[in-house]
Amino acid sequence: MNQTIPNQETKKVDTKKIKSLLNRRKGKMKRFLSYCAHCSLCAESCFLYMKYKKDPKYMPSYKVINSLGKLYKKRGNVDWKFLNEIKGIVWKNCVLCGRCYCPIGIHVPSMIAFARTIVRSQEVYPQLDEASPESWL
Amino acid sequence: MVDFVQGPLITIAFIIFILGILFQLIQFFRLTRKKEWGRLPIAYEMKPEKKTPEKILASCLASLNGTLWKTDPVLTVATSVFHVLLILTPLFLLGHNILLDQSCGWSLFSFPEPLSDGLTLIVLLCGVYFLGRRILLAKVRAITTIYDYVVWLIAVAPFLTGFFAYHQWFHYETVMLVHILSGEIMLITIPFTKLGHMLFFFLYRFFIGGEYSFLRGSRTW
Repeated sequence: MNQTIPNQETKKVDTKKIKSLLNRRKGKMKRFLSYCAHCSLCAESCFLYMKYKKDPKYMPSYKVINSLGKLYKKRGNVDWKFLNEIKGIVWKNCVLCGRCYCPIGIHVPSMIAFARTIVRSQEVYPQLDEASPESWL
Repeated sequence: MVDFVQGPLITIAFIIFILGILFQLIQFFRLTRKKEWGRLPIAYEMKPEKKTPEKILASCLASLNGTLWKTDPVLTVATSVFHVLLILTPLFLLGHNILLDQSCGWSLFSFPEPLSDGLTLIVLLCGVYFLGRRILLAKVRAITTIYDYVVWLIAVAPFLTGFFAYHQWFHYETVMLVHILSGEIMLITIPFTKLGHMLFFFLYRFFIGGEYSFLRGSRTW
């Protein structure tokens, strides 16, 4: 599915590349995703979750399920809208501090880092340009 | 149908369970490799200091502060008790061991029946607690899907039906059939659903080296 949005109209989402990246680490990542018990015990280990009044969208599990999890669910068939949705999750809502704790032993930072690799492959990342609407930087 | 569930399906379920676990184990060792530094070089290892029982106790209590015990003590107790009893209760249940003895000629030690009944009740209470948590807590609800409720049901159903069967509530034959079927479904689904954390907990926390591993961890992804 190749779609464009106005500010990226010259480029198309390279779903082939996304698929090949997803396949490269499928064994590890899909196991991490499928053995997540959805217990939310990782929540309190994230300082952003604690800082933002325990808003569930900052939970490590929420961030992983809604970024990398959805990428695998859609098998890489994603559009710009979706990539821009997960852009905020992987670049803003997580700082990759590596403090998240999973009782089962799922390594959340490696999953977020991998999701960043995928969105970066489509040149979706925060712009350092001051005029950019991404004011988090 | 009844004969199939009470006969060959039990064997099929055990075979799928064992082969599934073996497949996942092989995949795990294929996907990981031995760590180059399984142990720190000798020069950097700290000399073990003399430990008195008080020191050991103090360090154990201090280390608890860094665990989930401090964040959520009720859940820590509930989840620990639930997972231990989930394995022990069916293994040492008198009824199961009699069946095992009849079919294989050997059996395990059995708990007294009232004890097994009490342990089943504890498992069910923990299950109710997990369900309540899933429904009531925003942080758990945020990532909950129908799939989570199905998996919860798969885990709890054998205990609920077993409890009903022991007390002979409802129609005994039907309850027993559902009990056997739910047990078989649980065995079959363990290697292929998130119930697989039964195996992967040990692989991830003991084999993979990392900050939170229980041992040094000899393997890496």
